[in-house]
Amino acid sequence: MRFSFYKILLFSVLFSFIGCKNNETKEVINAVTTTNSIQYSKSLAIHKQDGYTVVTVSNPWPDAVKNFTYILKEKKGIVPDSLKKYTQINVPLQSIVVTSTTNIPFLEMLGVEKSLVGFPHTDYISSEKTRALIDAGSVKNVGQNEKLNIEQLIDLAPELIVTFGIDNNNPTLENLQKSGLKVLIQADWMEQSPLGKAEWLKLYGILFGKEKEANQLFDNIVKEYNDAKQLVANEKPTSTVLYGSMYQDQWYVAKGSSWVAQFMKDAKADYLWKNLEGTGSLGLSFENILDKAKTASFWIATGSFKTLTELKNANPHYSQFDAFTNKSIYTFEGKLGATGGTIFYELSPSRPDLVLKDYIKIFHPELLPDYTFTFAQKLN
Amino acid sequence: MNNLKRNTILFPLLFIGLMILFIVNISFGSITIPFKEVYTSLTGGQASKSTWEYIIINYRLPKAITAVLVGMGLSISGLLMQTLFRNPLAGPYVLGLSSGASLGVAFVILGASILPSFLSGILLSPYGIVLASTLGSTSVLVLVLLVSQRLRDTMAILIVGLMFGSFTSAIVGVLTYFSSAEQLQKFTFWSMGNLGNLSWTSILILSICVLLGLFLSLLSIKPLNALLLGENYAKSMGLNFNRARFIIILATSILAGSITAYAGPIAFIGLAVPHIAKLVFQTSNHTVLFWSTLLFGAAIMLICDVISQMPGMEITLPINAITSILGAPVVIWLLVRKRNFK
Repeated sequence: MRFSFYKILLFSVLFSFIGCKNNETKEVINAVTTTNSIQYSKSLAIHKQDGYTVVTVSNPWPDAVKNFTYILKEKKGIVPDSLKKYTQINVPLQSIVVTSTTNIPFLEMLGVEKSLVGFPHTDYISSEKTRALIDAGSVKNVGQNEKLNIEQLIDLAPELIVTFGIDNNNPTLENLQKSGLKVLIQADWMEQSPLGKAEWLKLYGILFGKEKEANQLFDNIVKEYNDAKQLVANEKPTSTVLYGSMYQDQWYVAKGSSWVAQFMKDAKADYLWKNLEGTGSLGLSFENILDKAKTASFWIATGSFKTLTELKNANPHYSQFDAFTNKSIYTFEGKLGATGGTIFYELSPSRPDLVLKDYIKIFHPELLPDYTFTFAQKLN
Repeated sequence: MNNLKRNTILFPLLFIGLMILFIVNISFGSITIPFKEVYTSLTGGQASKSTWEYIIINYRLPKAITAVLVGMGLSISGLLMQTLFRNPLAGPYVLGLSSGASLGVAFVILGASILPSFLSGILLSPYGIVLASTLGSTSVLVLVLLVSQRLRDTMAILIVGLMFGSFTSAIVGVLTYFSSAEQLQKFTFWSMGNLGNLSWTSILILSICVLLGLFLSLLSIKPLNALLLGENYAKSMGLNFNRARFIIILATSILAGSITAYAGPIAFIGLAVPHIAKLVFQTSNHTVLFWSTLLFGAAIMLICDVISQMPGMEITLPINAITSILGAPVVIWLLVRKRNFK
């Protein structure tokens, strides 16, 4: 009896969540009359209206229970009453705080990097343009590792803080909103498709009143990406690929639907864990990896290794792979910025075309004879 | 007579069991390798797949040897600490050795940027973690030994050890607060313990340290038996108590320090195994307890490793999860029974 009461209670709570989510989405859909201008991203929807734009961010973190809707209001725009309950952000912005290095290239591509007034742990930023602004003191360090310093932010009073959550519990964000600051949750890190990640550029286009430039830039990236894909259209994925590296007893491989695995697929390589369901990565035992990938033709290693000797010193087992003997090991994470940030982490999400070309150059070097690597480095 | 009978039956059984477990440990792993192939590889023949041979000889065999060394070393140091402090809940890390090691490792993984340049060159090398861990636990050991020379009361040493532990843990906490996700993951992995990935050179160094520690422990058997009756009684029997205490602490530090350096802080084994040995052999005589703890420690560690390898599955579990899952019930049971504990 008691059990069934709790069951009913649990289901009613669950359904109320689902109900909220559905109602909210319906409300937004009813309020917009234009189509969504986003093609590749799964977590972002942008509906441009007359005088304002409705931005919806769904799936901001794994197992999220709610979507976020933002109304980006232009100067003379009039927002209908039905949308007044959502966070309203006045655009174009003059000042912004972002919390992920992946957003820095977006600002630079649109030429609005000077609007950046704060960033947590500025050492992670590698781009020379933005580093110069940090050195000049116009970008303040507002905390450590996503642990935002609330007092500093209130004092800085940016027009918008773009940040991300990793689960449903974000007390810092709630505190910031209570203090009257505008916070926008973004989810570019949850996107798995290469072009989907890059399409978040369009959000910044609207935030800074530069939609046209953003669309042009993104269309160009799409074209470059598809042209590169076309290059290998008739190639057979003959090269087998091992990915990742070992820490302690765990070897992390990227799952079959992950961002990395999609690049390998598009570059026409046979990634050995392509059938591993899901996104993100999975830790496997060394025995498994050696058994499956001893004869792999290529190894894309994670970590900032520079030479084969360094790799072997890190773990003697590494030298057992044929890719080690044949010197076919590449890493994307070896290039570091002036203050130790990894350039690949910062720039790759916004430039999938360059990442894909790097992969094609690795697996089919004859197709891109004049291209030089942007991120990848061969271990010598 | 009864005891003697029991010992003559149990010890050979334990020894044979340990041998079997050693073979079982090498035979099982996430890759299924036919036993015939395991046998061929171990006896110097050629397995039908070169990867199998490599896995058995260069991955599983070192791991099994490490498990034996770790199990023996930690269990014995746990026994030494429990008798010295007359506290059934003491373990190898009670003097803050693992906290010291953690601090050293935390500086390497989490705080490399604040290390002085002459240190960072050494500590960021492949052996950096081992060196840092050794430096950390040695520093704590030296402090504990200095204090133990000054303090006459053994309980005071225990409290000092706990204080060192709290102090270093707090510094580790500050370092983790300022670290990135990748660094934290690395550090967490280290603190979850790891028996694999030791090169033969590392195993040689670890073996020498463990054997030295075990030799010092053997020398302490008589003093330990005297200590069971209390410090004053031991002194009245003509025991040089300060010297004995020094050797016991030194043995524990060499064992726990070297093991932590190579395998990370392995939980619970040192605390739980001596009690299992006491339960099975039903004696407090350290001559019997030493050997039984040694054999049980190695055997239980081999079992934990087999479980953590999840035979036939692609994933593996961290060794500390397994040792704790097996060890925690023992500790809980001890706490419940503590009132009747002698």
